[in-house]
Amino acid sequence: MLNTVLLTLSMATPLVLAAMAGYCSERSGVINIGLEGKMLMAACVSALVSISHGPVLGVLAAILAAIIMSLVHWLATQRFGIDHVISGMSLNAISAGATNFMFTRFSDPDRSGRIGTLPPLFYQVCAIAAPLALLVYVAKTRGGLWLVAAGSDPEKARLAGLQPDRIRLFALIATGLFSGLAGAYLVADTGVFTDNMTAGRGYIALAALILGGWRVGQTALACLAFGFLSSLNLLFQGTDLAGVALPSEFWTSLPYLATVIALAGFLGKQRTPAGLGKT
Amino acid sequence: MKQVVLIVACVVAFIGMLVLGGISPVEAAQTLFTGSLGSPRAISGSLKETTPLLLAGLGVFFALRAGLFNIGIEGQFLLGGFASALVALAVPGPAGLLLAMVAGIAAGALWALPAGWIRAYRNGHEVITTIMLNSVAVALTDFLVAGPARAANQTGATTATIPTSGRLPALLNSPPWNVSSGLLLGLILCGVMAWWMKRRVAGYELQAVGANPSAAEFAGINVRKVRLNAMLISGAIGGLGGAIQTLAFEGRFYQGFSPGYGFDSLGVALLAGSNALLVVPMSLLFGVLSKGGTSLLILGVPKGLTNLVAGLVILISATIRYRRQAQDA
Repeated sequence: MLNTVLLTLSMATPLVLAAMAGYCSERSGVINIGLEGKMLMAACVSALVSISHGPVLGVLAAILAAIIMSLVHWLATQRFGIDHVISGMSLNAISAGATNFMFTRFSDPDRSGRIGTLPPLFYQVCAIAAPLALLVYVAKTRGGLWLVAAGSDPEKARLAGLQPDRIRLFALIATGLFSGLAGAYLVADTGVFTDNMTAGRGYIALAALILGGWRVGQTALACLAFGFLSSLNLLFQGTDLAGVALPSEFWTSLPYLATVIALAGFLGKQRTPAGLGKT
Repeated sequence: MKQVVLIVACVVAFIGMLVLGGISPVEAAQTLFTGSLGSPRAISGSLKETTPLLLAGLGVFFALRAGLFNIGIEGQFLLGGFASALVALAVPGPAGLLLAMVAGIAAGALWALPAGWIRAYRNGHEVITTIMLNSVAVALTDFLVAGPARAANQTGATTATIPTSGRLPALLNSPPWNVSSGLLLGLILCGVMAWWMKRRVAGYELQAVGANPSAAEFAGINVRKVRLNAMLISGAIGGLGGAIQTLAFEGRFYQGFSPGYGFDSLGVALLAGSNALLVVPMSLLFGVLSKGGTSLLILGVPKGLTNLVAGLVILISATIRYRRQAQDA
């Protein structure tokens, strides 16, 4: 029982962080399919820098890398007017390719053992603090109001004297911060970097965001649910359930299937921010 | 003109990455060229790589014209390849060949169905659903081919090999030349699609939905139905691609059947822009890069390179398109 709870929490940590990254971006009106790529890039950079310069710089570099990718996304969508989904997808492709390239090129193949990182607990604390901070920020501060205004109706926000572009810039920097942490956590948790180690978590986090109706609390809960489903994989792999041993592939697929079902809208109505994807 | 700029950008990006990786550009360009176009054998290899990219590219292209991103081509390709292998093994001879192609098409369409339905009737974004379904497709085929569908005498996770009579014949087979009829099927499909989009009402409606869904709705087009159908047909083409891969080249299905054709085909389709006929040269470009990339592996260039280039090209092409629109406006 305790085992399940701990596993769920550890599985949910990157999801919560990534979902909060998505929250910042999508609440400000920028669709962010690219969470996956940011996490992957952050994971790779944190692994490389942790090996060469120690864990603290590793995390900082991971965050920086994710912020840079976020800024490219901002530039592409807000300055060049590229479709948000196309930009996000190409960033995912770039980071899938670049991380494979970088890690093969710049890491020592003979190195073995865990990569020295900050303890996973650090990230877990962040994953608890981030939603709380965002809740307070959006509900209580002027900046939070601006964020939601830019995402709900950028045109009206502009008429009210706000600059949605700038608000989105800061929102995307926050996205970079959280997705950087999410990516670095994966390395801290497993102690290695592997190709495509995010394994769709960025998309699952987005699904959690949609499921949570773009609200912080509900989104975090959805992440916990997805974390629970992922933990089942480790708990039940190869064990009999009512006399049948389900293949491990079934358990691996479970969170993905749940994501599809969640998007089918069986679990609640949609509350998309009205200005999502608009300029 | 735009396409020429893009091809140049693509090759420059590719070589630029190699230089970043510490390989001399001349050597890289040379290896890339001899590995992909330097000999009849290499050209045959490039055409072999082009075939799945052409078919998967056409699948992505079709959905893209309706404004949908079918990232799920990878999964549809896998399921199509798997289903056709099963059928071709069960039913021998030319009849089996035909049935196997149908099975591949059906499996691809079936795998695209949830994503299409969710997009059309639930407004859930198809990018997320198709990517999730890709992961499920990999897990499903991995499981089936390692367990129930594994050939009895094989240690690896693979189906039995389909006898030659149940495979797609070669179009030209005089070593070192070897071109499969699968490529011809892809070319025919491409021609038909270009004609259909230009000349048929349904083709017009599809592109109207892609260009401006609300205007299309206003004009009396059933947007939801068009989206669902576009996704199904796109999946069917992806499934056909998998079937051709099985029946023309591999002769069996195994774990790791697709080395990422699905994603490369996205680059192919985006580069082709609005013209179906351009899918052919673009898939050829990616086919050549992919074949040449294999030779580069020997020089120690990681395989992630094509992904990286595809991503860069998508970003560049989208920027150029925007610039042009801004100029027109």
